Amino acid sequence: MNDTVNIGKCVIRTDLHYLVDSHCWVRFNDDGTLTVGITDVAQNMAGPVLHVYIRKKGMRQKGQNLATIESSKWVGPLKAPVSGEIVEANLALEKDPGLVNRSPYGDGWVMRIKPLKLEEERGALLSGAEAVEAYRRKIEEQSVKACAEVAECEPK
Amino acid sequence: MTEEVEGKKVLVIQTHGIETPRRTYSPLFYAMAAAAMDMDVLVWFTMDGTSQLKKGAAEKIKLEPRSDVTLKTMLERAKEEGVKLRVCQQSMNLFDMTEEDLIPSVEVLGAASIIELALNADLVMYF
Repeated sequence: MNDTVNIGKCVIRTDLHYLVDSHCWVRFNDDGTLTVGITDVAQNMAGPVLHVYIRKKGMRQKGQNLATIESSKWVGPLKAPVSGEIVEANLALEKDPGLVNRSPYGDGWVMRIKPLKLEEERGALLSGAEAVEAYRRKIEEQSVKACAEVAECEPK
Repeated sequence: MTEEVEGKKVLVIQTHGIETPRRTYSPLFYAMAAAAMDMDVLVWFTMDGTSQLKKGAAEKIKLEPRSDVTLKTMLERAKEEGVKLRVCQQSMNLFDMTEEDLIPSVEVLGAASIIELALNADLVMYF
């Protein structure tokens, strides 16, 4: 089953949830935690990631910083898609930040959080065709070039 | 990240302008990094730094020959990240600039303001 959609050279996985404006993806895990990362669109816009500065513990409110991601031409936050407690940070990113580029939806995950008020906040997360459409609109508005010009995208 | 940093006040003072493109990029980058970390960031453009904010100036400054990123891109990204851009009134006078000459979302402040901002900042970075 193909659970990816390409928009230009950017890949959107339809089995994930997204906060499109924050370029953030969310995976719902069986244990009730959420895995969070930045999207393929974001890593394409950023270019080769040089540093990922990760918070390793603590409570985060929705919209607060989980990590700060830097490339040579961009620096920005990964914002908490929902409020919750950090239960695991992907420390591999400290040694190999390029994982975010090579595998944004896989080994390049950033954080696992235990949500506090998921039912209240999950409405903002988009998934499936709705997410793809929202991202398509955003890319058309802002980042067509970023997605079109990136020559290589390793398997996600 | 060992201590809570959100809400800290960061003041970046930029005295370099479009005549020295390589000195324009990093201060904005640091400002954006601090904003990404949920800090309250203000960049104060004074002396030659004022020239960055003149309409039509920043788009001509390319930071790397092969990149499509211009100084205008950086200023806009900084604003999108919540960085406040402020300019020194007295320096504007030096460049014969009025408020109409400024790019959008830049506020003009006087010299006393910078003293107060610096006194109240948790971190001041001077370039």
